[in-house]
Amino acid sequence: MKLNELNIGESGIIKKIYAKEPLKSKLLSMGFARGEKIKVLKHTLAKNTFDIDINGVNVALREEEAKEIEVEKI
Amino acid sequence: MIEIKVALVGQPNVGKSYLINSISGATLHVGNFSGVTVEKKEVEFQRNDYKLKFIDLPGTYSLHPYTPEEKVTKDFLLNEDYDLILNVVDSNQLQKNLVFSFQIADLNKPMVIAFNMYDEFSRNGGEIDTDKFYKLTNILAQNVSAKEKFGLEELFKKVIQTYEEKNTPRIYYSETVEEEITNVKRKIKKCKFDKRFVAIRLLEDDEDIYKLIHKKPWYIDLISQLRASKERIKIEFDEEDIKEIFFEERLALSKGIISQIAKRARKEKLSEKIDKILIHPILGLPIFLFVMWILFQSTFSLGAIPMDYISSVFNSFGDLIGKIFPNGIVKDSIVNGIIPAVGAVVMFLPNILILYLGINLMEQTGYMARAAYVMDGILKRFGLQGRAFIPLVSGFGCSVPAYMAARTLKNPKDRLITMLVIGFMSCGARLPIYVLLVSAFFPKHIQGNVMFAIYIGGALIGLIVAKILREVLFKGEPEPFVMELPKYRFPKLKAILFDLWIKTKMYLKKAGTFIAFASLAVWFLSSFPRAGIIKEYSLKIENAKGIEKIKLEKRIKKEILENSYLAKIGKLIEPITKPLDLGWREDVSLLAGLAAKETVVSTMAVLYGEGGKHTSKNLIEKIRKNMLFTTAVAMIIIVMFYSPCVAAMSTFYAEVPQWKWRLFYTIYPNVFAYIAAFLGVSLIKFFQ
Ligand SMILES: Nc1nc2c(ncn2[C@@H]2O[C@H](COP(=O)(O)OP(=O)(O)OP(=O)(O)O)[C@@H](O)[C@H]2O)c(=O)[nH]1
Repeated sequence: MKLNELNIGESGIIKKIYAKEPLKSKLLSMGFARGEKIKVLKHTLAKNTFDIDINGVNVALREEEAKEIEVEKI
Repeated sequence: MIEIKVALVGQPNVGKSYLINSISGATLHVGNFSGVTVEKKEVEFQRNDYKLKFIDLPGTYSLHPYTPEEKVTKDFLLNEDYDLILNVVDSNQLQKNLVFSFQIADLNKPMVIAFNMYDEFSRNGGEIDTDKFYKLTNILAQNVSAKEKFGLEELFKKVIQTYEEKNTPRIYYSETVEEEITNVKRKIKKCKFDKRFVAIRLLEDDEDIYKLIHKKPWYIDLISQLRASKERIKIEFDEEDIKEIFFEERLALSKGIISQIAKRARKEKLSEKIDKILIHPILGLPIFLFVMWILFQSTFSLGAIPMDYISSVFNSFGDLIGKIFPNGIVKDSIVNGIIPAVGAVVMFLPNILILYLGINLMEQTGYMARAAYVMDGILKRFGLQGRAFIPLVSGFGCSVPAYMAARTLKNPKDRLITMLVIGFMSCGARLPIYVLLVSAFFPKHIQGNVMFAIYIGGALIGLIVAKILREVLFKGEPEPFVMELPKYRFPKLKAILFDLWIKTKMYLKKAGTFIAFASLAVWFLSSFPRAGIIKEYSLKIENAKGIEKIKLEKRIKKEILENSYLAKIGKLIEPITKPLDLGWREDVSLLAGLAAKETVVSTMAVLYGEGGKHTSKNLIEKIRKNMLFTTAVAMIIIVMFYSPCVAAMSTFYAEVPQWKWRLFYTIYPNVFAYIAAFLGVSLIKFFQ
């Protein structure tokens, strides 16, 4: 499933990043790498913007970017 | 004296600027969100026999730059001359930060690491063994806190030691990767960079490095080797994207080293708890609007309290000068020109300080990034992204840093749209004009809300204009939004007060120099020529008695003003602004505002201030008596939208090289302001 399909409080393991460069490098350098655990802390009412915890770092991203990240729910 | 040039490199928001401030006593701007520093800044300081030149570079996540300001850092690291890299790392985010550290270690330059924010980290039970880190990587490192100022001496020593020993990092990737790096390296002949570095960057597809070497004679030979090496790595790792392979290599290194050198800290829950409320899916937006409302309300009402004290100080000062100096032009120009004008500007210092304090607190605590998150959905509807929110809010303080902050936007279209509407976010210097006019023309109980409406109205119209620009001139999708939300931090009271003190000093300096000079010019231009008029009246005044005499004195002043040089200039423009109910005095004040927005108020103080005491109440009184309500509204609207001051305009020109956009930027706000003011005035007349 994609990251944007997770709900508030749910966690997952990153499987693949589909994003193209240069967004991909940016995501990688913020810690979005295969095998890392992420947790959805918050999202806005319409699920437009997400607040993600990755390794203790809080990152805000949009639905469009969240769609580019494949996760496995745990 | 030995000079050492130290480049400060690190990911955003790790405290690079703060660290320089703490070591050298500089006053670089610090804020709790990524992208505070957007251009390189140099700070020099001396210690013992060394002169250290620190270069504060914009924070960057990796050597694959994403935004224009990140590119500044990469360009610097590749092309400029420096002796040593001081890599600043946030101890709370070791894993993510060290991945970048290892990337810059590839440069093979002398390098020192500062594990900053160690105060927070150790408070939560974390520990870092820097000796072991040195053994593993050959990089000298030091645990420091820029905030609590510990570890700085030791860091300084390690910088010197690394410089003297020319100590470079030793970091190795996995076997296959190292083998291929060596293979590629062999084909690189003469080159100004370290060969290993070039090999790694080429394997990682770094366009900048390609550009640098593709004219070399050995390029062809290199390319075939490069292709073979990449192929082998791809097969070995079963992955097509070599950038990702390298990233994962460094991540593995980072994890491995952290497990050997660091004791993990307990997870901090405070930020998460605060965020439960502040960025709540439903409450987040109303809370943000409420925060802004409080800010503008208090700017208005709290700021009004000391006003009378300040103006009474200037009054007594004026009286004093009036007694000391002999009658004549000098006295006249000081008492009627400089003092009331400077006084009128200084009077609004409290308002401006409150506004700055508010913006500063938003920046320092980390709320700014949250506000961007909350506003992202709305901004998206207007064709912008959440990140654009930060330059826009900075615009409420001053447009100059706001234009610079727009560098954090990656997409040139987004950046340009944002920059074109930043002017609609009313800056702090426009505040005095609003306070003056609002106090004069609106009932007391709604004044604060009118202020809020002016600011929010400006912002809203700015967003609508952004949307129109996006639809008409810059078709295309807004850029992706990915932004770190820093943890909440509570700044030291001392640091905040110091910041306000700097602002105060700058403001007073501007009032005492530029404004004083400008108002002197305004006074002069509005008081001459007068020989003829004085001659004509002097006989009449001599013969008149009592009230008649005072009336005549008033009339002569009016006559001089109406026939002055300034009036002549103003009256040339008057016909254009007639439909807006603006007279020449308003026109001249607005024009003066192009130099600096503070001069609008100082010019009005000179042009309306003739006679009587110059207390704040008095200036407000006079303006109320001499101006129509519609004139005040037209003036407010024009100030909301017309061109910002020259300093802001030149920043825009410096940031935007295309002439057509510079031209557009110079013209359209004024046309827009004129039309908006005309509509505003017509509406009022229609309902009156
Ligand atoms: N507790 C603590 N906070 C710190 C320390 N150093 C910096 N900070 C805070 O971290 C935040 C970022 O500091 P800056 O100096 O602006 O960071 P920067 O690395 O220059 O940031 P960019 O300009 O975005 O690259 C600010 O809120 C500082 O108050 C430290 O040693 N301890």
